[in-house]
Amino acid sequence: MRMFLFRELLGAIRTKSAVLLVLSGFLIFLFLASAAGFLMITPAEVSSTTEGQPVDELQVFLSPRLSSATIDEWFLAWRERSDVARLRFQFAQELDQTTTGGVFVVTPVDPSQASTLAEEFRSIDGVVEVVEVPRVKWIEPPAASLIARIALLVVLVLSIAASLFFFRRGYRELLAVFSGEIRMLRLSGISERTLIALVVALGVLIGCLGGLMLLAILYLLHRIALSTGGLQLFGGLISGIRILGTGLMAVGLGTVLGGLAGLLGASLLHRREFDPLP
Amino acid sequence: MIQVSELHFSTEDGVKVLEDVHLRVDQGELMVIVGPAASGKSLLLGLLGAQIPPQQGQILVHGRNVARLGPDKILALRRRIGVYPQGFVPLSRTVHDNVIFKLRALGNYREQAEEKVLYALETAGLIRRQGVDALELSSIDRIRLGIALAICHDPLLLLIDEPFEGLAEPEKAEIARLVSRLNTGHLSILLATRGPVPPGMEMSRRVRLLDGMVKGA
Repeated sequence: MRMFLFRELLGAIRTKSAVLLVLSGFLIFLFLASAAGFLMITPAEVSSTTEGQPVDELQVFLSPRLSSATIDEWFLAWRERSDVARLRFQFAQELDQTTTGGVFVVTPVDPSQASTLAEEFRSIDGVVEVVEVPRVKWIEPPAASLIARIALLVVLVLSIAASLFFFRRGYRELLAVFSGEIRMLRLSGISERTLIALVVALGVLIGCLGGLMLLAILYLLHRIALSTGGLQLFGGLISGIRILGTGLMAVGLGTVLGGLAGLLGASLLHRREFDPLP
Repeated sequence: MIQVSELHFSTEDGVKVLEDVHLRVDQGELMVIVGPAASGKSLLLGLLGAQIPPQQGQILVHGRNVARLGPDKILALRRRIGVYPQGFVPLSRTVHDNVIFKLRALGNYREQAEEKVLYALETAGLIRRQGVDALELSSIDRIRLGIALAICHDPLLLLIDEPFEGLAEPEKAEIARLVSRLNTGHLSILLATRGPVPPGMEMSRRVRLLDGMVKGA
């Protein structure tokens, strides 16, 4: 019975309602595509460089033959120096497992004077090596992925709002054509549940089709990405598992959204024009 | 079969439309309710047809109190009642498809529905017009179609609201004869009209509804 009524409801679709409902379906597809886009964007990787950077600290490797008393004496003397901002002692193995002895990690007050300070430390008997450690510069990820995310978010919000708007208008057109049938069904003892289910089923069908369309397009893009070696911004298209997961999620989400849109359409059934009695 | 007692109904504004209505319709009886416009005839039929929930009083249909029936039982009851609503407008499809739509919607299989369509159209005198677009029918044929729709699912109770509207006298008599012909066997019929009752109506009883009160029940 419900299939018969659903076919009848589909049969009541006219040009205007068809255009509005197809547009709603396309907007749901756009919403799902935006959501899927979030999962396809290549995660931004933060990189670092030391090239051309000022020296941040000096690692002064001490001879293992130095006595602890000498090391203590140097530590106290160097700490008092006006060109040393900070000083700490570490075992050399903490920095390099192949070496032995101790290391003074010296932070100069003025990075531009680090080389002079290093030369001075190198001239001291008992100092094996002085390593000048430049400052690490962290490089921010390219802004493209951020812009893409913002754009997707805007499309996401606009598409769902527009979709609900056109869904409601499409349903209004469709139900106006089907109003005589609805009155007759109510008069004949057909339950409200059945009527609501019919309207919701149409939304579910449209939402599900939107999701399936996205699944097909994602698969197509996946094949293209594999043959061309991948897209820089949407690196997720390379992964088959991700494509399948995202596609199935889109079908599920499309179905739920279509159902919600259907409920919005079903709310129109309470209008007076559908009352069976005058 | 139908027993109405102490039935009251008021609008949201507090205007009393039905007041202490008592009525009894036996199985196989054809009762005509005559009353002026806005006297509550359509409301009474809506209440008897379980389309409008009662506010106060008792309506027993087939021994069941309509006010106490749950939603599913109300729907089941509606399926046993045929209704011809006032100002009936057919669907924009052929006469045949109008009737088959209702029967299929009620869960009849196509073959079963086709048989019932033929019977209903034959009874209503529309069998030769079954291929015609229902919106192109004459006034009397529209009423015939409305009646065919009301009887196609073999109801136990038939409620007909103002079937003579917009008809010439001979046509009114024709519809009256059609309704009388339906009054065979188990089917009870309640027909509401502003009156007068056209000749040819073989009714069991006639009651007057005036200012929301039934006279002569």
